[in-house]
Amino acid sequence: MSAPKRTNPRTESLKRLVSCLLASLVVALMWGPQEGSFGNFWFGITQSIFKPRVLVFLALGVVLFLVISFWPKVVPYLTRPGVGPLVSGGVTVLAAQTLMHWGDGIGDSKFGTVATAVSNTPGIAPLTKAFFGWLCWVMLAVIFVLAALAIVRGIKVLAWVAAGLSLVAAVIAYVAHHSVVTYAHLLDHSLGVYVEIIGYLVIITAAVVTALSSAEMAEGRVAVNRVLGWRPGLPLVVLGLVVGLLAFASATWFSPQNFNATMSDTHERFRGTGLAPLAVQYLIWLGWTLFAVTTLVGAAAAYLRNRVLGWVAAAGGAISVVLTLITIYDFSKLAGQLHVDSATGPWQNLGAGGWMACGAFFLIGAGGFIAATAHGSVREALARAADSDVVASGRAASTQFLSAPGAMRSGIMLAIAVALFYPPTATGFWQSVLVSEIGIYVLLAIGLNVVVGWAGLLDLGFIAFYAIGSYTTAYLVGSLPIKPPSWLHMSPLLAIPFAVAICLLAGLALGAPTLRLRGDYLAIVTLGFGEIIRIVAVNADGVTNGSRGPDTQVPHPVIHLGPIHITWGLNQLQYWYLLLVFVVIVLLAFRRLENSRIGRAWAAIREDEVAAQATGINTFQIKLLAFAIGASTSGLAGVFFASQVGFFNPDNFVLNNSILVVAYVVFGGMGSLPGAMAGAALLTWLPEFLKDQVPAADRQMWIGAVVLAMMIFRPGGLLPARRRAIELRGFDGAGSQPRAVPASEGM
Amino acid sequence: MTDFMSYLVLGITRGSMYALIALGYTLVYGVLQLINFAHSEVFMSGAFGSYAIVHLLVGDGKGTPAWAVPFVLIAGILSGAITAAAIAWTLERVAYRPLRKRGAPKLAFLISAIGASFFLSQLAGKLFGRLTSNSFPAFWDQNHIIFHLFGAPVRTLQIVIVGSAVVMMLFLDRLVSSTKLGRSIRAVSEDAPTAALMGIDIDKTISRTFIIGGLLGGAAGFLFGLNFSLGNTMGFLPGVKAFAAAVLGGIGNIRGAMIGGLVLGIVENMVPVVHIDTSWTDVVAFVVLVLVLMFRPTGILGERLGRAA
Amino acid sequence: MSTVTESMSAAKSPGADDLVFEVQHVTLRFGGVTSLNDVSLQMRREEILAVIGPNGAGKTSLFNSLTGVYSPQEGTILCRARRASAPVSVIGKKTHVVNRLGVARTFQNIRLFPALTALENVKVGVETRQRSGPVSAMLGLPRQRREERESTRRAYELLHRVGLENRANDIAGSLAYGEQRRLEIARALGTGPGVILLDEPAAGTNPVEKRELATLIKSINVEDGVSVLLIEHDMKLVMSIADRIVVLNFGEKIAEGTPEQIQRNPAVIAAYLGSSADEAEQDVLSQPELHRIDTALSLDELTGQQIARAEQADTTVDQADLGDGGEKA
Repeated sequence: MSAPKRTNPRTESLKRLVSCLLASLVVALMWGPQEGSFGNFWFGITQSIFKPRVLVFLALGVVLFLVISFWPKVVPYLTRPGVGPLVSGGVTVLAAQTLMHWGDGIGDSKFGTVATAVSNTPGIAPLTKAFFGWLCWVMLAVIFVLAALAIVRGIKVLAWVAAGLSLVAAVIAYVAHHSVVTYAHLLDHSLGVYVEIIGYLVIITAAVVTALSSAEMAEGRVAVNRVLGWRPGLPLVVLGLVVGLLAFASATWFSPQNFNATMSDTHERFRGTGLAPLAVQYLIWLGWTLFAVTTLVGAAAAYLRNRVLGWVAAAGGAISVVLTLITIYDFSKLAGQLHVDSATGPWQNLGAGGWMACGAFFLIGAGGFIAATAHGSVREALARAADSDVVASGRAASTQFLSAPGAMRSGIMLAIAVALFYPPTATGFWQSVLVSEIGIYVLLAIGLNVVVGWAGLLDLGFIAFYAIGSYTTAYLVGSLPIKPPSWLHMSPLLAIPFAVAICLLAGLALGAPTLRLRGDYLAIVTLGFGEIIRIVAVNADGVTNGSRGPDTQVPHPVIHLGPIHITWGLNQLQYWYLLLVFVVIVLLAFRRLENSRIGRAWAAIREDEVAAQATGINTFQIKLLAFAIGASTSGLAGVFFASQVGFFNPDNFVLNNSILVVAYVVFGGMGSLPGAMAGAALLTWLPEFLKDQVPAADRQMWIGAVVLAMMIFRPGGLLPARRRAIELRGFDGAGSQPRAVPASEGM
Repeated sequence: MTDFMSYLVLGITRGSMYALIALGYTLVYGVLQLINFAHSEVFMSGAFGSYAIVHLLVGDGKGTPAWAVPFVLIAGILSGAITAAAIAWTLERVAYRPLRKRGAPKLAFLISAIGASFFLSQLAGKLFGRLTSNSFPAFWDQNHIIFHLFGAPVRTLQIVIVGSAVVMMLFLDRLVSSTKLGRSIRAVSEDAPTAALMGIDIDKTISRTFIIGGLLGGAAGFLFGLNFSLGNTMGFLPGVKAFAAAVLGGIGNIRGAMIGGLVLGIVENMVPVVHIDTSWTDVVAFVVLVLVLMFRPTGILGERLGRAA
Repeated sequence: MSTVTESMSAAKSPGADDLVFEVQHVTLRFGGVTSLNDVSLQMRREEILAVIGPNGAGKTSLFNSLTGVYSPQEGTILCRARRASAPVSVIGKKTHVVNRLGVARTFQNIRLFPALTALENVKVGVETRQRSGPVSAMLGLPRQRREERESTRRAYELLHRVGLENRANDIAGSLAYGEQRRLEIARALGTGPGVILLDEPAAGTNPVEKRELATLIKSINVEDGVSVLLIEHDMKLVMSIADRIVVLNFGEKIAEGTPEQIQRNPAVIAAYLGSSADEAEQDVLSQPELHRIDTALSLDELTGQQIARAEQADTTVDQADLGDGGEKA
């Protein structure tokens, strides 16, 4: 904005050094060991800064300074093929070896603790000892350096060596972890080793990309796209192969009180107990055979680009998933009946194995499906895409992330596989986090994304609609002091249309008088509305039972529909799948909406309200619509929340939560459905994850720092929407100046 | 009548603190057209900074001689103001300027400010404890009743608060209306690109605007701490209220912020007079805000910093 | 809009009683500034009516009054954009309502939806005439799908019409200046107007583009039977396509007539030469050989730079005005 100033490079770099050092001091404070108090005011600061430890942080500051100073020299290397995967893989492995759990039941079960325990255990295998002692670090360092050298110098042999070593490292890690678990007879839900393996797989990808890249693929993303898009569907099949091998060969299938049984152990355990023949056959040979056949067919379909084989693989995958589910249901139910080692019944006491097998079959089937539907060569597909309406909504650009044919759908399939088959393997704690934090806020973020992301209106009182939805449910099921008329009394799931309708009306009621206000006024009015709703809930004792919340429990959902009877109880998994259904329905509906005339009208208003009006859009009406749709989504979330927790109170609906939902949406990428979901999932997951890493009270501080850093370095959010990304970047065309802030941005 | 007057006195006291904080929102809004969501933490840091100095000067406050009290008060206000100004300046450098240089969407600024706000309040909590009910050392008799106004007691502290707020606001009014800095602030508020063409250094002006807002907010932090209590989350509620006050008066408008703060403070304290339970105070405050905005969509005095002077 | 063949064959004999706009004694003030003063004019069906005048003469204010952005304090504006409709007063109506009456417009400073593709820009226009609501969009009901197909088809048609079909999937903001101008026209046509208001469509375009534009405007007028109201500084363009011309100066109508009449009108020449024009124009126009407005002579060819600068200033003013107007509306 201001005229460029002539600056002395030396003072510039001095300034930079000082700010780096200051930043490192701030980090030292954040990582400080002590909480101070007003009685001992400077204690916190002296403990964290005036101690030798500060030198470490200052050193980090200097390193940061050097990196920034030599950044221009580093940058050309960063776009080389393989750098992105290498760095992310390295960081993943590092995270696995510092932050993740490696064996539940050993102290805090983090890597360091497990390593200490291993070194104190005499009888354990030497390889395991070496791995936990020094080998893991050496391997990581060697592989990283080799791969980096290969990339920088362009030595392909080195790349292959690095890839091979990574494979070895992954296997060693797996073996070491496995031997610890079997040695200690642990009940193990830890993910550390799997994350490490994934990290190494990513590094392998990096090395392979490097080795295969040629001059025309100087840009890293292009190379990745080439590899991913070489044979659509193949990456998924390979992934399924890896997961399946782990599942069938070594993962735990059955884990009651005292032991972990792999698939073959499970078969041994249930020999002669009258297990259904299908399950017996599955455990003996059918599982392996299905796996082998589907993998072969899937791989062949992808490699040969054969549609028929693709459909066969897809069907085989689907059937296999069903058979696997039947098998694990059968033996877990039988175990419950026989009280095998105090097993408790169907779907209980299952290890990760069965679910991983399901995931593997799903991935293979999905790979086949993609191979079957992504016909033609890469170039043909692109050429066709250029004419189709898919690109009319603008998704093609060769350097864009995940733009390779089938890559986007592969990503979606992977996400579905994780959403379906990961939660059952998680611990109870993570299951409840998935449901009551991640899932619900994802739903809320999807709703708010309509208001903030698409219509560009800043709503700081969004949680009020969530509250209205919850209280409406509580009223309709008769849990509030005021009772509904008897003919209206209903079960929670039936309350959905009512709660959604009430929230819709509330959205209209709030929107109609306020939407004429400009952005900032709208922000404060919605904020006030949110507070008013909460305070009313607190104070209207006779209606809402005040700050104690509903006086009797909101019943859990039930479905009695003809022959179908489903009762939700305390098992979080059931709620997860219910929530998944909600999210998927909402998601499908909203995706259609985004690409409809209404979605385009929102985009138009956001970009230029005056022009939108002159083009005949009733801006007020269409904004109000966004408000109402957003509100009704959170009404749906409210119904779910109320019937899941049973008891709640106005504290669940504080202003802070409204602000957080806005933060999730913007963090993830305004206006992009995957972005809003990713933002919400990541930022709700983070505090739970940090629970193990930093003092609980410091979590908000770290979240604040993460959000701040994200906005500074990537203001468009994690996965910015296409339209928003363009608004952000400006345009290089003649005629229009880059408009940094769209004319009618929502605040 | 007595009741009414004493609530009025309380309202004016609280309102003048709101006004001081609201000025920070309004000034920043003027130059950036952004809600500085982290201003509540600027306010909080002012209170903490002044606590450090006051504590250093008077210890636990026992036996502070009467002649020293005005000096301690001035030291408190100054240290609060300076700490907060430093934080505000840093905030602009870290959380706003990089986004401005990139031309980020407005909401990104808001979220960055929210992140900074979380960060600052929790860092303060980590460093100085998370107790919300700390108080300044009792170095003077702040509740001494000086005189009665139509039967309502007026206390020392209230006079100090209102007095210093008035002085600062007069000072600000002069500053904005008749100094070079004030002119550049107004110019940037009116039309930043044109102001840049006229040779005004926008970065510097924005920085200084943050500093001025910080000075006022920090002083308010000290006064607020004297009147109520100190804690790392103390900024949130007054921040929201002051923001509402700024909007009420017409955001971007300096005199509007002053009036908005006073009106909001008085309205809040008048709630018991009209026989509404005090638990509904916030509802009443927001309803008044909404009603005002319904009928005057740009606040009591309308927008635009430039028109204020 | 599909009266192509009819209107092609129909002789261009606009009946004096079939008026698209009937503006009577309109006065528009902003505070103390009178931007339109007792302006009356009539626009006949299917004619190309040009509004010219020096900068600040009130041309854009007139447009904004006709489209409901501004509400003039005095006078009446009756609009009968589509042949079948009854005359309706525009004053006090919201912009989008006026648009739905059949009045489409473009802007002096291009106002596209820059982050949307060219196709999407036009679709936004087409879709304001569609009915399907959010529920049918979310459920993907057949009617919505049909309308979506219909709007894509129509949008491609219009893009083809303005010669942008090969840029359909490009981001509007990345198009060249002249292309953006044409895209704006396509978007306006998408709303199926009976009358289209073009605010300096030729500003900033090169001579080749200007010729194409003239052809385009003609064809919109003749083939689609859309009446065209045009603000333009380029006299060559105006003189070549306008059926009639209205001249504004200082918010007042100083002349009205056919291009030939206007070129000879002493009041018009005085306005362009007199004290009202800004000094730059004076300098140029006071040169003896340029003492009349000639069809061969375009003002901005002469004073390209000055006019560009003046336009820029004008643009910012208009933007501010529009912004305020939008809020008031």
